[in-house]
Amino acid sequence: MEELDLLKKDWNKNNPFPQLQEMDIYKMLHKKSSSIVKWILIISILEVTLWTAISFCFNTDEYLIKNHSEFMIPYFKVLTVVNFIVTAVFIYLFYKNYRTISATNATKKLMADIVRTRRTVKYYVGYNLGMMVLSAISGFVMAIMVNPKIQELSHNTKAMVIAIVIMIVFLLIFFGVAALFYYLIYGTLMKRLYRNYNELKKIDL
Amino acid sequence: MSDSLEKSFVKQLTDNQNIVHKICRLYTNNEDAHNDLFQEITIQLWKAFPKFRGEAKFSTWAYRVALNTAITLYRKNTRTVATVDFEKASYFIKQEDYNPEEEEQLKLMYQAIHQLNDIEKALIFMYLEDKDYTEISETLGISEVNARVKMNRIKGKLKKILNP
Repeated sequence: MEELDLLKKDWNKNNPFPQLQEMDIYKMLHKKSSSIVKWILIISILEVTLWTAISFCFNTDEYLIKNHSEFMIPYFKVLTVVNFIVTAVFIYLFYKNYRTISATNATKKLMADIVRTRRTVKYYVGYNLGMMVLSAISGFVMAIMVNPKIQELSHNTKAMVIAIVIMIVFLLIFFGVAALFYYLIYGTLMKRLYRNYNELKKIDL
Repeated sequence: MSDSLEKSFVKQLTDNQNIVHKICRLYTNNEDAHNDLFQEITIQLWKAFPKFRGEAKFSTWAYRVALNTAITLYRKNTRTVATVDFEKASYFIKQEDYNPEEEEQLKLMYQAIHQLNDIEKALIFMYLEDKDYTEISETLGISEVNARVKMNRIKGKLKKILNP
């Protein structure tokens, strides 16, 4: 291709860039990076803090005593321990994956590492969302079992249906807002990366 | 990080800055964006520098980190719109021996390259830098055969853009 040869000649001969001095480069070293890896790290730390706070700060004991379900306390203690372990394992995995991200790797590997790190957080959030749904359902069932007022209500089919529908609608709205939030944050952040990653994968098909 | 490390890095990058400028020229279409990407590449190079043991030339090592930053790490969307401003596409073009016909051709060529996607630009960049297919395939993480095939397709695509 004739034009490409011409370009190659010009490319290697002509470097009409304003040359930076050492001082300019020094200054750049101390500026803040705005790479997507940094943003993923910041968002992930916020996510984990938020979810850990929600799952650990929620005082289930008090709620159980109030609802005369003290017998459930040991089960919830087990659940708290499980939560701790899951969070610890998650933080370990996230850290391990995060450390593999290196700009000196091949482009495809770099992209795969970033996607994997991001996926770790996604699983953790998924776990927490799942636990929340489970808690909502078990809380509801427990209330029916132990709360006399609700027990009375449970004989009324219409009221029960309404209660269940309200719960489902509430959960759906919650999931919708969460999904939109994620779509906006990660959608804009990861869109270009996914596009380039898919392009690279396509080459090797 | 120690002062001597910083000093050595700054010296080497200053000496090899054109490699970063060239990548910025391919992936941005105005001077502000060019400087912004240059800044991010510098930070990424500096972060990776402690692991640079001098087993390769600084320029060889730097172009890989710079390319990865432009394609993957850089947060802002560097994809240029399909219809690139004629002047913008060719900013920084300066012919030493002025030849209007050649300059016109070069301008069109740069404009055509700006219409390629990020990965295609990376391949063109390495082609212009005279990298062999082994290095191209290692840098991008694709097979050598497929790198060759892709390069031929890109050439075809450029031809099509230039002669629609």
